[in-house]
Amino acid sequence: MKSQYFAGVDIGSTMTKVVVMNQTTLASVIGPTGPEHRKLANRVMEEALAKARLSFDEITYVVATGYGRINVPFADKQITEISCHARGVGHLLPEVRTVIDIGGQDSKGIKLKEGRAVDFVMNDKCAAGTGRFLEVTAEGLGVSLEEMGRLSLEAENRVEISSICTVFAAQEVVAKLSEGVALPDIIAGLHEAIAIRIYGMVRRLKIEREVALTGGGAKNIGLVKALEAKLGFPVLVPPEPLLTGAIGAALLGKDIVQEAAEKGETLVRSERRLTEASIFT
Amino acid sequence: MSEEKKPEERKKRRTATEAAAKIGPIQKANIQGVAQAREEGKKVAYTFICCCYDEIIRAMDIVPMWTETYAGICGAKRDAQRFLERAESENFSRSLCTYALCGLGFDAWREELGEMPPEAPWGGQVRPDMMLGSGQMLCDPRNKWYQAAQHYMPDVPIYDVGLPWPPYEDDYDYREVQDYYVKYIVKELKGLVKFLEKHTGKKMDWERLSELVDLTDKTWNLIWEAYELRRAVPTPMGTGDAMNTMVPMVFNMGTQEGYDYYKDLYDELKLKIANKEGVIPDEKYRLVWGGGLPSWFALSDFNYFNSKGAVFPVETTYRMIEAIYNFDMDLTKITDPLEHIAWRWVKFWTYWHDRARKRPGSHPDVERLIKYIEDYKIDGIVMHEAFSCRSWHVGLIWQLNQLKRVYRDIPSLILESDIVDISSYNEADTRARIDAFIDTLEAVKSR
Repeated sequence: MKSQYFAGVDIGSTMTKVVVMNQTTLASVIGPTGPEHRKLANRVMEEALAKARLSFDEITYVVATGYGRINVPFADKQITEISCHARGVGHLLPEVRTVIDIGGQDSKGIKLKEGRAVDFVMNDKCAAGTGRFLEVTAEGLGVSLEEMGRLSLEAENRVEISSICTVFAAQEVVAKLSEGVALPDIIAGLHEAIAIRIYGMVRRLKIEREVALTGGGAKNIGLVKALEAKLGFPVLVPPEPLLTGAIGAALLGKDIVQEAAEKGETLVRSERRLTEASIFT
Repeated sequence: MSEEKKPEERKKRRTATEAAAKIGPIQKANIQGVAQAREEGKKVAYTFICCCYDEIIRAMDIVPMWTETYAGICGAKRDAQRFLERAESENFSRSLCTYALCGLGFDAWREELGEMPPEAPWGGQVRPDMMLGSGQMLCDPRNKWYQAAQHYMPDVPIYDVGLPWPPYEDDYDYREVQDYYVKYIVKELKGLVKFLEKHTGKKMDWERLSELVDLTDKTWNLIWEAYELRRAVPTPMGTGDAMNTMVPMVFNMGTQEGYDYYKDLYDELKLKIANKEGVIPDEKYRLVWGGGLPSWFALSDFNYFNSKGAVFPVETTYRMIEAIYNFDMDLTKITDPLEHIAWRWVKFWTYWHDRARKRPGSHPDVERLIKYIEDYKIDGIVMHEAFSCRSWHVGLIWQLNQLKRVYRDIPSLILESDIVDISSYNEADTRARIDAFIDTLEAVKSR
């Protein structure tokens, strides 16, 4: 029987992620979604295919997810990021019951049962509590996002960031800097502020252990520690927390193909032609 | 948006029932009828819905200008922003109730011009002869809005009716204090009648008032019976339509037209059930709209739910009636019309108290949800947090948490936006949430 390959494409607000799988992950690529790149999910896909040494024709099924999923013309199906994150985390970390995903544009909590999302909460209204909060404030502090986590661990006297608005928080950190507050103390304060908001939101789900942290926020060790302090126990972080949505998308594609085969149904697939994402044209 | 600019109207939302489709013209006639009545020399009053004075003003031939509803109409027509911005420029905070802001912005503009603002929806909000506040424990603008409106209309008198009800406590029976509440409300209503007599120069026709009170009782029963028909599978009517069919419930109480409307609705729903005609042919998920006023500019979201196989056979919002015959007292024995109104009010707001007291940790609002979940075979709950309406929305999350604690876990979705302020709304995000919610419903159903 011919091998089957599945692709998951997760177009987030800042990063586009593609995973190609059969029984295991064959290739994964993370590329920027930013203004210049956002319509180029096809390029990220091409890169992933090249890494996996496959042609697009060989991909059995493609599932797109993320906020840009709707108009990925080469996807066979679009599935919400809630379902894809749930499937991805359920596969990678089966013991997880609650997922906290901190993306560039939103943050969400997902309750899992048997690897599927049964409840969720989402913040897509306010930048505070999302990766954007850290991006904006990092700019004000003149440090890179990557440095923030490490620097915050050096904090000795964490400051309190009182502004609940991202724009004003950015001003507040600049003011703290001019007062001579040490950079690590300010960054630790920022992590605390974002952790409070995310924890407050996810609590609505009745948090159950184990908890997994995904999305770009999970790569920030300072934020992870701040959230762990709020939760009162350690969280699990997948090996590549940016990829759980794309992995889940690919796995859901696999599920769809298997279910169709069991029922003897013919699957409708898009034309195997890699074109730019139409939502941005 | 500048004050001169007026947005294009959206195309009409598809309704499941003819009754809901008829509401547009009825609503328009209601609003335009106020201007007409004014020209005929009738007295016009600014009024709040669910106010206890429906029959009183009808009996005295006072024409109501329902101000919350007018703001809702501006919102539904996506033409509220210019009035909200006007209120903001008058120094009212944007975080106040956007019904009130829309109305105050409109009043400020109309009073400045000496005529209706340009292209005011459905002819505009007519300048009143009096303003009748209706303070409840529910909502503070119902006391303060008209006081603020007096800045622009200092010559227009206000009467503010206080309408309390016994708050829920799990360790005492509200019946111990209900008489005091009734006495208080009757006194308030007597004061209102006196105020109206003074400002209209007419005497109350008490016999007519009694007739209208009876008519309202009959209408409450009929609405309850019609809405209970929606338990059917497939349901013949959803919440999207109920946000239309609520209009006579709050606009036309104490009128024969209101009663006749619900008779038609009842008959239509019966027929649909007999023909097995549902909102959608293949119901997959039955949802309760578990609280929060809707975004009037986004009622088409209900159609979006329908497109995903979801229907709303029931809602807590704007179901402002119970069957009178289900109360724990025989209201027909209360022959004094003001006392009758007061008892109806107290019994409505305490209706779910007894059930709540039987379940530790519960609450009347939670019990109502539980009853609806069971009676209407509900799979999930959708709530809407409207940022500008704190009094109706502040406890929603708590209710949801309590429900899950004292009853059972059930998929839930919280939508976030506003009642009137469209700048708070993002269709793509809202629909992404709905999609994700449908996924969770499916996951729970297939377990």
